[in-house]
Amino acid sequence: MPMKGSFPIRRTLQYLQKGDIIFKSRVKIMTVNYNTHGELSDGARKFVFFNIPQIQYKNPWVQIMMFKNMTPSPFLRFYLDDGEQVLVDVEGKDHTDIAKHIRTILGKSQTVLEGEAQAKMQASNPANFGPKKYCLRECICEVDGQLPCPGTTPLPKEMTGKYRARMKAEQE
Amino acid sequence: MSAKQASVHAKWIIGRVIGTKMTKTAKVRVTRLVLDPYLLKYYNRRKTYFAHDAQQQCTVGDVVLLKALAEPRSKHVKHELAQVVHKVGRGVDPLTGKRVAGAHFLEPLDELHAEDETLARKVQSLNITADASVSRYDGLNELP
Repeated sequence: MPMKGSFPIRRTLQYLQKGDIIFKSRVKIMTVNYNTHGELSDGARKFVFFNIPQIQYKNPWVQIMMFKNMTPSPFLRFYLDDGEQVLVDVEGKDHTDIAKHIRTILGKSQTVLEGEAQAKMQASNPANFGPKKYCLRECICEVDGQLPCPGTTPLPKEMTGKYRARMKAEQE
Repeated sequence: MSAKQASVHAKWIIGRVIGTKMTKTAKVRVTRLVLDPYLLKYYNRRKTYFAHDAQQQCTVGDVVLLKALAEPRSKHVKHELAQVVHKVGRGVDPLTGKRVAGAHFLEPLDELHAEDETLARKVQSLNITADASVSRYDGLNELP
């Protein structure tokens, strides 16, 4: 059963997760002005059709608004946190060029993203045991091949703390 | 907390004015793209905000940029008007600065285009018609 609609691949999680434009934290609003007819707006139209879902998926807190047929020339406008506005002219450009350009000016670079991923990995070290909120496992008894939890099955007598304490006391 | 934090989560929002009946307050509709979890398609979800507009300069249909106030002005008003991005009926192309209406310019782009327009107007004013040329050689005047 094939998917419905034109280019239904846009509606797959894999496609959405493939988006590589992650905006810097300063970017709050993104506005796209384009026209529904005309060749000059073609790149902008394709950008809205293909790339906007990916951008919104990766930047859920950025407000994206589309305006149609307001001005003769298509453009993008970004509103940053300190009141600064960035105007990007996209007349006649291809949608891949637009995406690349936005990535270079306002997206987090590859080095920054890798650094963030590293920091995240360090924060979640699988060797740590603790509460579920911070670590993967709480106790070694959760791992296959290790002793089961003494809460469920009693330990062998030689491994209990009171036996070992008694043996030690008898030795002295 | 050394710096004062805004009372709302959204510091900057952009929306369209839908009502100005309240004194010094604009009702703004903000749309955000929200992913439908089953269809995996983005749809506009709208929310109305009230914004303080001191000079009452907004008209219905303007596209405005709102800034969050440091503390709520009243029970509903938590934003103020920062800038009118697009005034309805008086659109301006941001790249050239000329007035626009939809997909065409209202003002000529530069001097060359202005000449084309005046020429067209002059041709129209000449008003050459077939009747006029016939009546010129009527009567007793001989053709040269």
